[in-house]
Amino acid sequence: MAQIFRPAADFWLRLLVLGALLALVGSLVAAAGYADSSYATRRGWVRDQPVPFSHAHHVGGLGLDCRYCHTTVESSAHAGLPSTQICMTCHSQEWTKAPMLAPVRRSWTTGQPLIWNRVAKLPDYVYFNHAIHIGRGVPCTTCHGRVDRMPLMMRAKPFEMNFCVDCHRDPLSKLVPAGRITDPEPMKWSSTEQHRFAAEAANDLRIDPARLDKCDICHR
Amino acid sequence: MSWREALDRARRTGGRRYWRSLGELLDRPDFRRALADEFPALATEPLDWERRDILRCLGAALALSGLAGCEARPDEQAMPYVRQPEDLVPGRMRGYATAFTFAGYAQPVIGMTNVGRPTKIEGNPDHPASRGTTDAFTQASLLDLYDPDRATGILQGDRPTSWEEFDRLLATRSALHDATQGQGFALLSGAVSSPTLLRQIAALQARWPKARWYADEVDLRDGRAAATRVAFGRSLDRLPLLDAAHATVVFDDDPLGPGPGMTWNSLGWSQRRRAFQKGDGASALFVAEPSPTLTGGRADGRLMASPSRIPALVAALAAIFGLPDVERPALLCPERQWIEAAAKALAAAKGRGLVLVGGGQPPEIQALGLAIDERLGNLTVTSRFVEPVRATPAGDGSLDALVAEMTAGEISTLLVLDANPVQMPGQASFASALSKVELSIHAGLHRDETARMCRWHVPLAHDYESWSDGRAVDGSPIIVQPLVRPFFGVRGRHALLAGLLGAPGTDDRAIVRETWRGLTDEAWRQALVTGSAGPAATAVAPGAVRRGALPPPAQAGGLELLVRPDPTLWDGRFANNPWNQERPKPFTTLTWDNAVHIAPALAVTRGLETGDVVRLSRGGGWLEGPVVVLPGQAPEVVLLHLGSGRRTGAVADGVGFDALTPIGMGPLTIERTGARRLLALTQQHHAIDGRDLVRETHANDRQGSRPAHVEPSFYEPGSRTKPNWGMSIDLDLCTGCGACVSACIAENNIPMVGREQVAKGREMHWLRVDQYQEGPAETPRFHNQPVPCMHCENAPCEMGCPVNASVHSPEGLNLQVYNRCIGTRTCSSYCPYKVRRFNWYDFTSDAAESVQAQRNPNVTVRARGVMEKCTYCIQRISSARIDAKLAGRAIRDGDVKTACQQVCPTGAISFGDITDEAAEVVRRKRSPRDYTLLPEANTRPRTSYLARIRRPEDDA
Repeated sequence: MAQIFRPAADFWLRLLVLGALLALVGSLVAAAGYADSSYATRRGWVRDQPVPFSHAHHVGGLGLDCRYCHTTVESSAHAGLPSTQICMTCHSQEWTKAPMLAPVRRSWTTGQPLIWNRVAKLPDYVYFNHAIHIGRGVPCTTCHGRVDRMPLMMRAKPFEMNFCVDCHRDPLSKLVPAGRITDPEPMKWSSTEQHRFAAEAANDLRIDPARLDKCDICHR
Repeated sequence: MSWREALDRARRTGGRRYWRSLGELLDRPDFRRALADEFPALATEPLDWERRDILRCLGAALALSGLAGCEARPDEQAMPYVRQPEDLVPGRMRGYATAFTFAGYAQPVIGMTNVGRPTKIEGNPDHPASRGTTDAFTQASLLDLYDPDRATGILQGDRPTSWEEFDRLLATRSALHDATQGQGFALLSGAVSSPTLLRQIAALQARWPKARWYADEVDLRDGRAAATRVAFGRSLDRLPLLDAAHATVVFDDDPLGPGPGMTWNSLGWSQRRRAFQKGDGASALFVAEPSPTLTGGRADGRLMASPSRIPALVAALAAIFGLPDVERPALLCPERQWIEAAAKALAAAKGRGLVLVGGGQPPEIQALGLAIDERLGNLTVTSRFVEPVRATPAGDGSLDALVAEMTAGEISTLLVLDANPVQMPGQASFASALSKVELSIHAGLHRDETARMCRWHVPLAHDYESWSDGRAVDGSPIIVQPLVRPFFGVRGRHALLAGLLGAPGTDDRAIVRETWRGLTDEAWRQALVTGSAGPAATAVAPGAVRRGALPPPAQAGGLELLVRPDPTLWDGRFANNPWNQERPKPFTTLTWDNAVHIAPALAVTRGLETGDVVRLSRGGGWLEGPVVVLPGQAPEVVLLHLGSGRRTGAVADGVGFDALTPIGMGPLTIERTGARRLLALTQQHHAIDGRDLVRETHANDRQGSRPAHVEPSFYEPGSRTKPNWGMSIDLDLCTGCGACVSACIAENNIPMVGREQVAKGREMHWLRVDQYQEGPAETPRFHNQPVPCMHCENAPCEMGCPVNASVHSPEGLNLQVYNRCIGTRTCSSYCPYKVRRFNWYDFTSDAAESVQAQRNPNVTVRARGVMEKCTYCIQRISSARIDAKLAGRAIRDGDVKTACQQVCPTGAISFGDITDEAAEVVRRKRSPRDYTLLPEANTRPRTSYLARIRRPEDDA
C-alpha cells in the first residue's frame, strides 16, 4: 500500500502547529494592545458636540474656575454639567449674535436642554463620587488632564481600573490643599511642602490606603 | 402515617419541634428531594438537543468569544437643565412629604426622588401614623406609578379621543343636569377621607340636590360602623391603642395584618411588646380566628374557631366578667381552656386590656365586645373613638343601592371615580344594570373590568403625580403633593370633578389650596415640608355602651365559606404589580396565584392535597381553584382571597381564579376535579434540615446579658476597622408582614421572575421570610424568620469562589463583585444559609422603559449569569460614609439604616456598627436572647437573632 503521507507532510504539520501558536500569541498581544490603545479607552479622542465649547478659551484664556460651571462638584457624586442658564449669564451679553452659540440661545428660548455627548464616563458598575475626591484634595487634572489646553474636550486618562487603583493604593502623594484643587498645574509646588501636607492629611483626614483599594469603595 | 403520628414520633425521638411544611412533618419524599438538592434552583432544563442546535451554539460561542474583549459601551448623552432649580443637587436624593391613599386613608410617606425621578417611598418619620415605617403595599405603590399598563388615553368605547372632546361632553351633560337639579346623576367612589374631594362632592350636591353619591370599599362593608351605631347610637371610628394594651383578646380580627391600619397597629403593638421585653408590664395576646392571620401568628394563645363560633366565645367572655343578660353558652374543651386563659389575662390587666371583635361579626356581638371593655374600664384607655375619618354618603350609599337605582333606570349619568365595582364582592348584577345607564364614565389608573364596560374611560393621575389631600388612620390631615409631573396626559381627580362643576382645566393645586385657605402661606409651606396639615382627630367620649339583642346563634354544620381580601393583592387593586404578586403570602408562601385554603383535617377526609384543583359549588354557582392545605385553619372553613382572576393588565391577567364567581346560597360542597396545578410556593425553597433555626426563650430570661463566647477557628481573625457592621433581628417583634421584602425589592433593584421561575425555586428576593410551625398539624403555633445574608466573618462563600468575586470587606461585609462573577454558583453551594440568588436569565434589560426609570441609580442592575445577595444596603453605607467624611466626623449610630430596617413597623430589625458600644445593635446582641443560625458551622454570622419570648404557662 502506498504511503498516505509524503515526507513533506511532517514539515507542513510542524509549520501549522507553529503557525497556530504564533497566531494565538499574536492575537493575545493584539488584544492586549487593543485594550490599552487609545482607540479602546477613547483617550485623546474628540467627540462631536452641539456647541464646540473650548475649555482652552474659557479656562486657559479667561481663567474661569472649574466650579463656576460644574457647580455641584463639591457637594455631590456628580460634578454637574452647566445648565443653559449658566452659559447665558455671560452669553446674554457676550457674543450674542455668534452663530456658533445658536443652539445655546435656542435652548434658552425653547426650554429644551442642550444635548451633550459625554466624554468622561465610567461603566455603570463603578460608583465614582466627585464630592469626596474634591473634599480630600484630589485635583481635577489628575483625571481630566489639562483641560485648559483642550480647544475641544477629550478624555485625558484611560479610566481603566488600574488608573483608579494606582492612586487609591498611594493616595497621599497625589493630594493638594483645597486652594490648589482647580489649579491647572496643581502639582507645581515644592516636594517638601507636598510631603508636609501629605503627612498632615493622613492624620487629619484619616485616609487609610489599606481601606481604599477594597472592592466596596467603588463597586456596589 | 398521619400528622399526629408523625409528630408523636418526632417527640418521642427527641426530634425538632419546628417544621416548615406538612411535607417535612410527614417526612415525605418530595421534601427529602427538595432538601437533598443542595441548591434546588440548580434544576436544569432537560437536554433536548439536536445536531443543528449544537452547531448553532458553537457558532455563537465563536462569535461571542471575539466580542467578549470589547465591551459595547454605547455613547451616552447628557442633558443638563435649562434652568437648574436653585437647591437641586443632581446625585443627591430629595424627599417630599406626601401620602399614598389606600382604602380612603392617607398613608404618610416621604417620596425620595433622584433628579426628579421617584425611586423609593419611605415612611414619614415625623408622622405618628408612620414614624418612618410603612407597610408592604405602600412600598410597592411606587411601581404602580411606573406601570406600563397604566391608562394613558381617553377612550370612548374603544375609540381614542381627547380631553377637549371629553370636556365638551361634560359641558353638555352638566347643562342637562342643571335643568333637572342633578336628577339621574350618580357618583361612585371608593372610601373618601380627602377634605378637598368631600368639599367638591358637597359643592356638586349643592348645585344638583338630586344627584347621588355612593361610596363602597371592601373594608367599609364590614359591620364596624354598624357596631358603633348599636353601641353608641352613632358612627364612630375605633382606633385601637395597642401600645396601651397589656392584654389583648381578638375575636376574628386582624389588627396586625394587611390593611390600612396595619402600620398604626404594628407600631402600637411593638411599643408595648418592647416595654414588656424590658420587664414593664405584660403583652398578652389571645386570638380566636378561623384561619391564620398575622395577629394569630403572634398570639400567646390561639384558638381555631369558625366564624359561627365567635358569638358564643364573645358571650362566654362576657359571662365570665358578669355582664348582665348574657347566658353562658356551652363550650367545647379547647374553647373553654382558651377563654379562661384569655379572661385571666384580661382580668390581670384590668383597665389596660383590649377586646377586639372583627367587623365580619354581627354588630351586636361587636357591641358586646365593647361592653366587656367598658366593664373592665378599658374602653377609652386602649381605644380612641373619633368621628369617622372616612366620610360616607348620607343615606344608603352602598353599591347595592346604586345597582338597584341603575336597574330601575333612575340613573342616566354615572361617574365611577377610581373604583372598580365589577370586582366588588356580590356585584354580579352591576354589569347588566350598567347597560341601563345612558352615560357611564370610568376614571381610573387602569383600564380595568369596569372601564371596559363603561362608555367612556378617562385616565387618572397617580397619587405621586397629583395634588390632593387625605387623612391618615389617626385622622390627621395630610397634603398629597406630586413627586413628579404626570408622565401621560392624565388628570387628577379634583380637576376632573372641577370639570363637572363647570371649571375644566382648573389645576389641582389651586383646588386643594382653596380647601386649605385657612392656612397662611407659611403654614401651607410648613404642611408640605412636614407632611402634616393638622393634628390627629380629637377623641370623643363615646358614652355608655348599649347592647342590642344578641342574634340567635348561627346554625353550625357544613362548610363555611370565607372570602377575604388577599394579603398581598388586597381586593385586586394591587394585582397588576409584580412586587405584590411575587411576595410570598404569609403562612402559605403562595405567589402568583390564589387558592382554596382548607384545613388539614378536611384535606384528610376529602383526600385532597395542596395543588389539587377542586370545584366549590353552592346553590347552582361554582368555581374551580387549586387547594392549599393550611395548618391552623378551622376544619369547617374554606377560605378564598379576593383580588385574583382579574383582567386589567399584563401582570394580573391570568393569575389565579376570580373568587367572585357567582356562588348562590345553600350548602357548600367541595369536590376534586382530578386536575392538578403546580403552585409557586416558596415554602420548601432554601430549606435547611434538622436544626432549630427559630428559637424561643422564657419571659424570665429576657434580661441580663450573655457572656461573649467565640469558638476557635483555623482561619486568621480578620482585622476589625471602625465601623464594622452587624444586624440583629428580633423574632419576638417580627410579625411576618413582608414589608421588609417589599422595601428590599424597591431599594435594591431586585428583578421579579414570574410564576414558572418561582416554582423552580429561582425567586430573587434577597430577604426571605421563612415560616415555621410548631406542634400538631391541626393547631400549630406559628413562627417566622426574616433571613437576609448573614455576612459571616468566616464566610464559606468566599472560600469557594474561584474568581475571587466573593470577598470580605474590612468593615465586615461579604461583598459580591458582579463584574468579576462568572456564574459558577460555587458560593451558593457553599452557603449554609441558602441566601445567594443567581440570575438564570436576563431579567432586567427588556424591562419596560418606565419600569427602568424606577430603578435605584445607586445600585448596580445585575446581568444574566451573575450571583447576587443582600449587601446590607451597601449604597446607604457608602453614602453615609462619604457624608460623614465630608462633615469631618465619624458615622453615628442611626446614620445608616438598611431598607428592611427602615420600613419595619415593629422595629424588629436593628443595624449598626458593632464596635460602637452605645449602638442599639450592640445592646441587642448582648441580650441573652441573642443567637446565630447554625453556630456549629462556626461561620460567625454578623446577622444574629433574638429568640421569641414564650410565656412559661404555654409550655405544658
